[in-house]
Amino acid sequence: MSHLETQNLTYVYGAGTPFKITALDNVNINIEKGEFVAIIGHTGSGKSTLVQHLNGLLKPTNGEILLDGESIHKSKSTLFDARFKVGLCFQYPEYQLFESTVYKDIAFGPYNMGLTVAEIDERVRSAAKYVGIPDEMLSKSPFDLSGGEKRRVAIAGVISMEPEILILDEPTSGLDPRGREQILELIKNYREKTGKTVIIVSHSMDDVARFATKVIVMNESNVEKIGTVDEIFENSSRLREIGLSVPQITDVFIKLREKGYPVSEKVYTVEQGYLELKKLFEGRGIS
Amino acid sequence: MIKDITLGQYFPMDSLIHKLDPRAKLFFTVAFIVIVFACNNFVSLFFCFIVSALIIASSKIPLKTVTKGLKPIILIVVITSVLQISYVKTGVVLIDVWKIQITSGGILTALFMALRISLLIVTSTMLTYTTSPTALTNGLDRVFAPFNKIGIDFHTVTMIMTIALRFIPTLIEEVDKIMSAQKSRGANFEQGSLIKRAKALIPLFIPLLFNSIRRAYELANAMTCRCYNGGKGKTTMNALKYSSKDYLATVFSFAVIGIVILLNIYCGEYNAEFTFNSAI
Repeated sequence: MSHLETQNLTYVYGAGTPFKITALDNVNINIEKGEFVAIIGHTGSGKSTLVQHLNGLLKPTNGEILLDGESIHKSKSTLFDARFKVGLCFQYPEYQLFESTVYKDIAFGPYNMGLTVAEIDERVRSAAKYVGIPDEMLSKSPFDLSGGEKRRVAIAGVISMEPEILILDEPTSGLDPRGREQILELIKNYREKTGKTVIIVSHSMDDVARFATKVIVMNESNVEKIGTVDEIFENSSRLREIGLSVPQITDVFIKLREKGYPVSEKVYTVEQGYLELKKLFEGRGIS
Repeated sequence: MIKDITLGQYFPMDSLIHKLDPRAKLFFTVAFIVIVFACNNFVSLFFCFIVSALIIASSKIPLKTVTKGLKPIILIVVITSVLQISYVKTGVVLIDVWKIQITSGGILTALFMALRISLLIVTSTMLTYTTSPTALTNGLDRVFAPFNKIGIDFHTVTMIMTIALRFIPTLIEEVDKIMSAQKSRGANFEQGSLIKRAKALIPLFIPLLFNSIRRAYELANAMTCRCYNGGKGKTTMNALKYSSKDYLATVFSFAVIGIVILLNIYCGEYNAEFTFNSAI
């Protein structure tokens, strides 16, 4: 039994009108506990629609979503549980901050769960720690923070619900390199410390190659391929065909190989690239 | 759910009416509203009905869509009809039960009013159905251009209208997004007492307000960057041009006014008793 799985998930926007669009067509995925899943696909491939089904925000036109083997749409209480068990953090989450202080905003989710004041306090502080928000910032207004800080507060607002599965829709979009690095680092740390499942929707092949244990490629409302990083980036020409690409470092090694250098094309991170080059130089007696 | 809201109600089609200059359509609509009120007998009102039917037919908009616009005013029509029937006591008494007296005059007056209101609504919705919001505000801008000369800044008003219309879909999308995000954090917009539900809207409205102000700043900057400085000397990319068909439409409007005035004079003032008797 998978932790989270979809069975023949189909979703049609505007069903029954002449303007209907099939956003998801028979999607079957399964996600195991502790995985770091990346969902990639070009704009309009159905990624965002898919993740909005996973916590029950959208109700499938057809098919089911099973959380620990139970359909999340079985009853009102299973749906309510799914909202908290599967924490979804939207794209540009900083535009959803509303409270007068950072503390209160992070506490919104736990408060809605009906926890006690002591429990809420504990969760807010631990979530703030995960995202690197210092204690003195908790009493500030979220509207006074910088863009990157706001983003981290918003992510903390989801983490504070302590979901078993954390989903982040393009968590690094619109941030500067340092902000991106901070967000990716905190997601990685969060997963290592809690051992929880993380799903990210991403456009950055470099990030995907660095972190994901499983990659789901979406294309035209369907799952194109599911596999490990190696399996996915093996076929660079097919990825380009569906509007995606491979990590930059992979591109470099593909070009090197075309020029006749005896290097592997299966290089997906900078670390792997370094080792591959080292091997090449050592083979030629340069070190 | 929230996406069902249709404002502006533009219904794009390829028809002569759609292609007319918005000013010609504005003029006709205003003229028609005045003339429907001026109708004083059934003959002239029937003539207006034919004109209205002619316009609907040539606009190629499905009749069902047009009559849909009548739905919200059904209640108003019913209430006015009931009032007319119970207050107008001219003509032949048809039904006389206890204190209720229904006369032929009452029924005819009610019918007259109902037809008049329906004509007004249907014809004015035709304006928004066949004219895109941008074209409409463009037209208004030009119509009221002379006011700018006497110090009334009408251009700003039309610019505000254009921007407001432009941002309605954006705001609807934004509301949808923020609602989904807050729902993901367990917010409940559908259940609870009235006060509870009103309170539940705070997490929706504060970000919405904040984002709107932010967007307004960005828009203002973008407009300044493109040297927008109000209406003075501003030209438009798709400048409105009054072509022969627009002149024809204007002539048509005047013709409708003229015919209704003639019908009013020659067919006599609407008189319930007279009309009813002659009908028999």
